[in-house]
Amino acid sequence: MRVKILRQMSPVTEPYWQEFEGEFAENQTVAGMLDELNYKDDLIDVNGDPAPRIQWECSCLQGMCGACAMVINGRPALACETFLREIKGDTVVIEPLKKFATIADLVIDRGVIHDNLKKANAYIGEYEGADPKEYDHMYAAGKCLKCGLCLEVCPNYLDGSTFYGAAFANDCYLIASRSGSHKNAITKSYQKNFEQGCSKSLSCVDVCPMQIPTLASIAKMNRR
Amino acid sequence: MKHVLVIGSGIAGLSCAVSCAQKGMQVILVSPFPSERSQSVLAAGGINAVTPSHETGDSIDKHIDDTLKGGCEIAGKKAVRGLCESAPDIIAWLEKLGTVFTTEPDGSVSKRAFGGQSYRRTCFCGASTGKQIVTALVMEARSYEGMGRIKRRLWTDFYGALIKDGSCYGAILYNEATRQPEAITADSVVIATGGQNALFGKTTGSTQCDGYVAGKLLMQGVELKNLEFIQYHPTTIETAQKMMLISEAVRGEGGRLYVEENGSRVYFMEEKYGERGNLMLRDIVSRCIEATGKQVYLDITFLGKEKIRQKLPEVYELCQKYRGIDITKESIPVTPSVHFFMGGIAVKNNHETNIRNLYAIGECASIYHGANRLGGNSLLAAIYGGRVASASIEASESSDTQNDWSAELKEAKEKLRSLKGSKSPYPVKYIRDMLAETMQENLGIVRSVDKLRKGIDDVTFYLSVVDKIRFDNSEMPYFGYSLKGILTLAKATLLCAQSRQESRGAHYRSDYPTASDAYKAATIIRYDDGAFSTYLDTEGKYES
Repeated sequence: MRVKILRQMSPVTEPYWQEFEGEFAENQTVAGMLDELNYKDDLIDVNGDPAPRIQWECSCLQGMCGACAMVINGRPALACETFLREIKGDTVVIEPLKKFATIADLVIDRGVIHDNLKKANAYIGEYEGADPKEYDHMYAAGKCLKCGLCLEVCPNYLDGSTFYGAAFANDCYLIASRSGSHKNAITKSYQKNFEQGCSKSLSCVDVCPMQIPTLASIAKMNRR
Repeated sequence: MKHVLVIGSGIAGLSCAVSCAQKGMQVILVSPFPSERSQSVLAAGGINAVTPSHETGDSIDKHIDDTLKGGCEIAGKKAVRGLCESAPDIIAWLEKLGTVFTTEPDGSVSKRAFGGQSYRRTCFCGASTGKQIVTALVMEARSYEGMGRIKRRLWTDFYGALIKDGSCYGAILYNEATRQPEAITADSVVIATGGQNALFGKTTGSTQCDGYVAGKLLMQGVELKNLEFIQYHPTTIETAQKMMLISEAVRGEGGRLYVEENGSRVYFMEEKYGERGNLMLRDIVSRCIEATGKQVYLDITFLGKEKIRQKLPEVYELCQKYRGIDITKESIPVTPSVHFFMGGIAVKNNHETNIRNLYAIGECASIYHGANRLGGNSLLAAIYGGRVASASIEASESSDTQNDWSAELKEAKEKLRSLKGSKSPYPVKYIRDMLAETMQENLGIVRSVDKLRKGIDDVTFYLSVVDKIRFDNSEMPYFGYSLKGILTLAKATLLCAQSRQESRGAHYRSDYPTASDAYKAATIIRYDDGAFSTYLDTEGKYES
């Protein structure tokens, strides 16, 4: 299989493409493939040149932490749950998420997700209890990985400076549905930083690794 | 105002940071990645507490008894009492923070049965208790971030503690963004960096938990404890990169372990231990599985598709996705795997180490679990430990000693410069892989002096060459500078296992197969200028 990776040595250097060849099991994940490429032997590219080890982020390796979010054959996905058997053709193209600053290779800085939640004072404060009927929805929203896939795919999200994206909308729902002290403030922030900018392409729902029902979060927040 | 440096932002670190901020302290919360990437999010099962809606007959005393018994009577009684007595309040607090617990129709938190417990007392959030608690704690921490009382430092790794004359004054951190070390001083430092998975390579946990901090602190004069007690989770499935945990909740819901013999199923745990045999303590189940010498299966199909999808959706999806197994129709092939470290940094009941103003909490600390941990007690201990440490820090006296740390910083800079200057293509990963292989082989479920000696020889050799090898500088500098600490911790772990000449809890020696009263105490290990020494804490040094 041919593996084409958009590489970048540091935040201030220019990105470049580098290609590798390798034999991988079809039940291997892209994360496993990156490990194999990096450490099966010295890393040599298709031109026979030695290459620096590929930098990428991982932690749980089972789709529960969001660390390994990247763009795989044009689709934002988690590398640890994208299997080579799902790749069409014999080339896999890997890029970092492009809406965040690159630290090195496939490692990106997603700090803006947390910065925006902090700016919006997204916390519960005074807890006033929850409607038991909302349990399933709250449980699903509580699983958000803050991985950034929903923001990468969103046609409205640019750099998080004004429109904060789906991850923000789900946290707004979690707060508005249970906070006595922050319900109104978070609703206003939602209207300003999400509702006005969302064109409802719902691509965020398609790529969410936790299958969070963002549309339901949006619908409930829009009714407030 | 006191300044606290918390290293690690999983549930223990968050709990401590929030608790310190609530008390008006100023916290710097350090981690390479945000809390969502921590191992805490993998904790599937639940959190133990005898809440007001407890089962008839259950009590806090019984929770204490179960915990002490599970730990084979070597955990401190006073510490365990504090843990179990605080548990109901911790559940109420987590609910108020918005943790999405699974509840009963009357609104009380649901509880499930977990191994080694006499009553159903494990509160849970579906199959993602850790993740839901992280979500709630991150939001709570955010409220203090907004006030400026918690400042997060991401892309930052621990390098070493600033220790002088038996007291800690801060830490040297490595900033991945500037690629430089920096000295940060604080009134207290709290270590919350999780277990030491990297010693064993493929485990159920996060790749981020490598044990470096505990190893480095050992080299800096901090005592470690009970490193030989390593919990193998009896039910995991193997994939190319890791061992994936099949939650004890499956057995809590009635899942049965069996092997196939002559075309029929042998439910070996039930045959040996009766009706609740599948929920025996994890060390017992793991040894029984190993003793079969066969592929063991876990069957939950009888629960029915609807209930499995409703009660165990994550297990269903995990098996389907990574192994193509439909658990509503097929049994799960399971194998034991390294899962949790009862041992770690030795702490007193207030979570302070033998170094003043240096604390440890969560899995990296050794205090509540003795020789074996009950499922559902680790999340509880992580939150409780954070609270206890913050209370102790609040009550401690601030020091106005001014120290010069330029020599320590210079040493760190030189080490990093030498790593960056290497032209070698040899990656640190190769040594880490060799370490994992020898640890898996020689410090498994069943140990013996021959194997332990082999492991010690191997790691001693790696330690003898680690400072001579030039490593690939395209790997993160952290990998380079952390290797010696990881190897030192591995050797200390093997030495602890060698010194305990008995079998107790998760430590089973084929050459000493029974428990001995002579060893009914914690193992403490220290390191002085390259020399390791162990002793048994028979006088309860760490139980005050």
